[in-house]
Amino acid sequence: MSTTTTATTTKLWGGGKSPFDVEYGKLMMWYFLMSDALTFGAFLISYGTIRFSTNGWPDPNKVFKSYPFASEGVNAPLVFVSIMTFILIVSSVTMVLAVQAGKEMKKKAVAINLILTIIGGIAFLSCQAWEWNHLHSEGAWWGMNPFLNADGSASSTNFTNYFFTITGFHGFHVLSGVVINIIMLIMTLTDQFEKRGHYLMIEKAGLYWHFVDLVWVFVFTCFYLI
Amino acid sequence: MSHTATHEDHSAEVKKEVTKVTIILSVLTIIELILGFYMMGIEAAGTRLLIKGTIVILMLAKAFYIVAYFMHLKHEVKNLIMTVCVPLCIFFWFITAFLIDGNSFRNLRNTYDPHFKEQSTIKVEAKEAKHEEKEAKESKEEKKEGLKLDAPRTTD
Amino acid sequence: MSNEAVLHAHSGAHDGHEDHSHEHHHQSFISTYVFSQDHKMIAKQFLITGMVWAVLGGFMSVLFRMQLGYPDANFPWLETILGKWAKGGHITPEAYYALVTTHGTVLVFFVLTAGLSGTFANFLIPLQIGARDMASPFMNMLSYWFFFAASIVMLSSIFVETGPFSGGWTAYPPLSALGDASPGSKSGMDLWIVSMALFVVSSLLGGLNYIATILNMRTKGMSMTRLPLTIWALFFTAVLGVLSFPVLFSGFILLIFDRNFGTSFYLSDIFINGVGAMPNEGGSAILYQHLFWFLGHPEVYIILLPAMGMVSEILSINSRKPIFGYMAMIGSLFAIAILAFLVWAHHMFVTGLNPLLGSVFVLLTLLIAVPSAIKVFNWLTTLWKGNIRFTPGMLFAIGFVSLFISGGLTGIWLGNSALDIHLHDTYFVVAHFHIVMGVASMFGMFAGIYHWFPKMYGKYLNNTLAYIHFWVTMAGAYMIFWPMHYQGLAGMPRRYYDFSIWESFKQFQGLNQFITIVALIVFAVQILFLFNFFYSIFKGKKVTTQNPWEANTLEWTAPINPGHGNWPGEIPEVYRWAYDYGKDGVDFIPQTTPVGADESVEH
Repeated sequence: MSTTTTATTTKLWGGGKSPFDVEYGKLMMWYFLMSDALTFGAFLISYGTIRFSTNGWPDPNKVFKSYPFASEGVNAPLVFVSIMTFILIVSSVTMVLAVQAGKEMKKKAVAINLILTIIGGIAFLSCQAWEWNHLHSEGAWWGMNPFLNADGSASSTNFTNYFFTITGFHGFHVLSGVVINIIMLIMTLTDQFEKRGHYLMIEKAGLYWHFVDLVWVFVFTCFYLI
Repeated sequence: MSHTATHEDHSAEVKKEVTKVTIILSVLTIIELILGFYMMGIEAAGTRLLIKGTIVILMLAKAFYIVAYFMHLKHEVKNLIMTVCVPLCIFFWFITAFLIDGNSFRNLRNTYDPHFKEQSTIKVEAKEAKHEEKEAKESKEEKKEGLKLDAPRTTD
Repeated sequence: MSNEAVLHAHSGAHDGHEDHSHEHHHQSFISTYVFSQDHKMIAKQFLITGMVWAVLGGFMSVLFRMQLGYPDANFPWLETILGKWAKGGHITPEAYYALVTTHGTVLVFFVLTAGLSGTFANFLIPLQIGARDMASPFMNMLSYWFFFAASIVMLSSIFVETGPFSGGWTAYPPLSALGDASPGSKSGMDLWIVSMALFVVSSLLGGLNYIATILNMRTKGMSMTRLPLTIWALFFTAVLGVLSFPVLFSGFILLIFDRNFGTSFYLSDIFINGVGAMPNEGGSAILYQHLFWFLGHPEVYIILLPAMGMVSEILSINSRKPIFGYMAMIGSLFAIAILAFLVWAHHMFVTGLNPLLGSVFVLLTLLIAVPSAIKVFNWLTTLWKGNIRFTPGMLFAIGFVSLFISGGLTGIWLGNSALDIHLHDTYFVVAHFHIVMGVASMFGMFAGIYHWFPKMYGKYLNNTLAYIHFWVTMAGAYMIFWPMHYQGLAGMPRRYYDFSIWESFKQFQGLNQFITIVALIVFAVQILFLFNFFYSIFKGKKVTTQNPWEANTLEWTAPINPGHGNWPGEIPEVYRWAYDYGKDGVDFIPQTTPVGADESVEH
């Protein structure tokens, strides 16, 4: 290591300032998200463990094959969930733009992008509500599994148990993300950030929102694809 | 957050990056979906496993782009990147140990629990699924005597 | 914000009053003593709540030790306090299991996690790193009140009709997942889960705050390698908590679904007499154990590391010598923190765990002996040729080292999966974890209380009472737990209600009585300590010097009774590490002393 690097390292960690050049709130948000990553990780790993300790498992393509306003016997696997995925990705993009606008102190752009993000979140939640309702009408719920294993044998209820628990927990996170974003929007519109001189809070809300998107990447893969 | 002359350039740069990452994420998702559709017609277990592995790698790539660019981690100080990424390495052992033991538990049950094995080999006609399930449970009640819990004692 | 040090001041309602913290301003009783945001007051709240729980949890152990020591005797006073749970002065089996379970839960989580790291992380982190308060005083306050809520819920579970949860502190399903499994599995278990969920929230809020404070708010010159070892230990403790508690939380959520919503995450092949076959199929009870111990093992270090950190500091101060191997101490703390996450399944060798996987866990488990041994030898070499001052805090610190060695060595036995076939679930395990994690951490906590009491309350504790407290507790701890090793080797299982009906365990009746008598004496001495503690808060000898122990760390540069904000005027700047004792013939050089021109090179 060259002497200059050593010098800057000592300075960074020398006390009297943040070694990461971030304010404490963002640091806490990052570590909270790590903690939350372990919550979701534990859920998904439990799901994997149960799947590994069970002989058969339903084929997701035969379970998630419908979409709103479709006719009765429709067979369109992956279609609806890909729409949900894109909704969440797009809402993540608008959130990035909101954060960036905040850094540039553009109140109007922040508000517009936040509204778009909130719409995306609500759209996602509506999709999820429809899907849950649809599955429920087919007889699926916690402790009830009408679907058969891919090989035609009877399936344990853990397929639906995990599906509803984990997507439910994710949906709960989306819901809290929407609530946080609505609070951010109100604070933006009432000029609270303008008065503070910075939009750092939007950045933290953004981190949370992206994390929700990130979790969906894993949930989507684990439940719908493999 | 000072307003400087380079501000506009920076802003444009960020927008460019966001567009790029959005496209990458969409393309990755579409590849995943194509693989998903492709997998439906395949029966061979080995090929399916290979495709599933590819999907998991694509998933991790998507996770990387979200964390690095959307969550801005790539542009943070290196030490912050390290403190976030290094602890998450526990996931390697977390996943490995849990899945190995899950798999081992299935083997144990298949070896020592004939009922468990038998149940997973019986094919059920889709429409009679519920009925048969009930039957299976009843027969099980007769067969199995082990694993009994003590009677719940009432306190009064 | 308060610390000139911190970048990007955040703004909010609560830092208004920090900015002018050194100005005199009146605060109401409520904002000073109840909903206080001062880290020192929150630390005291944690400490006293922890003490209340320690008394309750300790008293529970006295009760079930009475049963074990005198299985045939009747004690009418038991019926007076326990009512129907001790009909005719004889503890019922249900009550016995409830007592064992609640004793475990309370001591592990409420006393040794919240009471120990909650107290000392809150008290020491800002004072020793040179900060006015925690990064977020408001979240810090929430952390305590979530803990308080958890306490109230746990306490209320003792009073429900069917009794508190009684399936062991690990709450394994099916006893924890099925209300019909035992009386304690009914509403007592619901309250237990709610209480633990609140506790997880509390520990998360606290842990995030500790990490952010230590990283972001160190005073000028306080580089990471100048931090006292207490802070390093508390830092790793917080990291362990933040990363492992959420896994327990997930496990509990799945458990709640199993209990209430007909799922079968942990349930399969269950028959209950009078109810018949349960419809829950396909789950795995071992999955719960994995999830539980993924927290459970780091939890052991969450309990132990703060004690280790405080002991390192106290040993160095009272030996008037720098801590031996400062970097090695940090390295071994780090190694322990990493290994803590890799070894959880050594609690599960006999569950049917894959033997190959088990052997990997044996290897990883035995690796913990390396950093532990490094720490032990460093403590011993710190003491070596030291000019030792036997203050009560120092005695407890030395006691900690002794107990850590004794208890740690039996850990090497238990870490072997082959030996574990014989030793699992016997009194050998009980002896091991009580010595190494229970009593040793209690000793660390006592050492911390005796050492920092002058800073907390501006008074001294009575030394004579402290010496009695130490010697009786030290001797008692060994007399209680040493014999249990023999009982365990003879195969005596833990959690049994009455050993007198077993031919092979009858021989231990006398020994069990002996243990019970010692336990009673030790419990009485803890009451003596409590008397000393509360008496000294009000009537103790006043501290008249700013630095009574002649220590180097920053908390002793603050006023004897620091206000909210800790230092009047500027926060001191730091020029050296915390362990310049006996350097160049000078007894001690506080961290705030600039390095002299002719001083020898820093450690």
